[in-house]
Amino acid sequence: MTEQRQGEAGETAPGLAGPGPSGPGPSGSERSGPFRSNSGLTGLELAGELRELLAELAGRPELRTADLDLPLFGAGIGLDSLTGTLLLREVHRRYGVDVAAEDLNLDALASLASLASFIETRRR
Amino acid sequence: MVKCVVWDVDYTLLDGVFLEADGEPPGADPAMVAVLAELSGRGILHAIASRNPPEVAEYVARVTGAVFVAAECGWDAKSDAIARIADTLGIGTDAIAFVDDDPYERAEVSFARPEVMVLAPEEMTSAPGWPEFSPAVVTAEAARRSQLYLDRQRRQAAGREFGGSREEFLRWCQTEITIGPAALADADRLAELSARTHQFNSAARALPAAGFAELIGVGEVAGPRAAVGPARAGEDADPRPVVGPGEPTGAGEVGSPRPAVAPAGPAEDADPRRAGVPGEPTGAGEVGSPRPAAGSAGAGEAASALAAAGFTPLVAAGDSARVLAVRLRDRFGDDGLVGTCVTEAGHDGWTVTLLAMSCRAMGRGVIDALLAWLIKAAARSGVRELAIPAVLTPRNVPLRLALAAAGFRASEAEPAGGSAGEAGQRRAVFRRAVDADEAAGPADAAGASGAGGEATAGEVPNADGADDSD
Repeated sequence: MTEQRQGEAGETAPGLAGPGPSGPGPSGSERSGPFRSNSGLTGLELAGELRELLAELAGRPELRTADLDLPLFGAGIGLDSLTGTLLLREVHRRYGVDVAAEDLNLDALASLASLASFIETRRR
Repeated sequence: MVKCVVWDVDYTLLDGVFLEADGEPPGADPAMVAVLAELSGRGILHAIASRNPPEVAEYVARVTGAVFVAAECGWDAKSDAIARIADTLGIGTDAIAFVDDDPYERAEVSFARPEVMVLAPEEMTSAPGWPEFSPAVVTAEAARRSQLYLDRQRRQAAGREFGGSREEFLRWCQTEITIGPAALADADRLAELSARTHQFNSAARALPAAGFAELIGVGEVAGPRAAVGPARAGEDADPRPVVGPGEPTGAGEVGSPRPAVAPAGPAEDADPRRAGVPGEPTGAGEVGSPRPAAGSAGAGEAASALAAAGFTPLVAAGDSARVLAVRLRDRFGDDGLVGTCVTEAGHDGWTVTLLAMSCRAMGRGVIDALLAWLIKAAARSGVRELAIPAVLTPRNVPLRLALAAAGFRASEAEPAGGSAGEAGQRRAVFRRAVDADEAAGPADAAGASGAGGEATAGEVPNADGADDSD
């Protein structure tokens, strides 16, 4: 039961804010099952990588520990169109996924976790 | 059309070689000084590509009296220097002219960058008479374009040094965003914005000055205006006292300074007493009064003028079309008119038929402030929905991000009868419900206020290397 829930909740598991961004935490591999991509990167690792990228692009080091489920727009992370543009461009360059072309409403940008999940789905 | 001239220095701008073995460097070539000034006045930028050490740029600027917005000094190919300059300025290399006395350098650039217009100095004396150097209209913003680029460079440098968030930086910059009704005198600049902007442009096509003039004309005859003195949010906590009863804030004599909106709290000037159409929050019309008949007649003429000008609006202009002008300035300089928005009141809501903003304003809170302002103005007019039809291009992703941040949702739209859309264009309508309680409270409630980082403050990305030229 708990394992199953963890698997399902992988993308939305709370408490992901603590551990380092892209380091495969001890629990990362346990939760990685449903999210492992052909690149070997788990969904959580990818989300962590995106969080590093966002912190760098926004020039806000404090984002490196932001909750992966925090809304990117609005009161959450407050993603502005400038940083968002840079983020989407870098995602396209690194992962070959053109979010803007494939996601009319940019729902992928609901959170870092959802962006990771979107990228994972498109890369398969 | 040439947007920037890249100049060699020795025997081109100067009457000799900068690094003379003995004595003072030579003076400027008077013929080139005249050309520099003439082209600057037309909104054409100047840059330097030289084999000399970097200090040459300052010297040349001093002796020619011209502003150079970029300087590439070094020994690599001048074609590469030109590419870097284009990248820095956010323009395409096909909008660059290159002037050099050395036939070898000219040949190298011609070969590597055939799209660049390559000229010898003696040819430049007649260049101001050529169409490539002759914009049809020179707006105040265009004539100051060099200065605006310099302001931007100083702002960016300060942003890199600044220790706080982007929002704090914008506040420190004393950023003032002013939203108000456009005046007839703005028509040329509005047309320029609609043509030269891409990243924040919903229509992906230009509307001519005549079209704007007609739309503004409709607004100008639609109702009386109250004269309002200068008022700035932040300085004046409640701008209402200076506004006549029934007149919304932000109202003003056309051309008068309008209440500024700070990025953190746009629409501080909101007056919740209003009900009506988009023009009203900006000053036209009496409370609840029907629109004067003259407005309707004018609107019909506007629509026909627009059609005659070859512009098919995404939504036909009606008697309630209103044109907003967005102005921007801060401690580094006055950017002037940087954005526009054409709104139209419909049965259930407002339709924004054009939204365009200069890329120079990107990263400075302008688009967020404008959307927050629109939402608030709609709410206090009792409007339930905002709709923004847009053409989707690879370039206007920033606009979509801003709309998403402000709570808009898009649905793909079919080109209406094929008349408004060009073949292959992807179109969508972005909609957002407006709650009555959004009429009050800070604009943050609109979800449009984002906090970015200082590292990117004022930086302008060029998604495809050759982007907005405004």
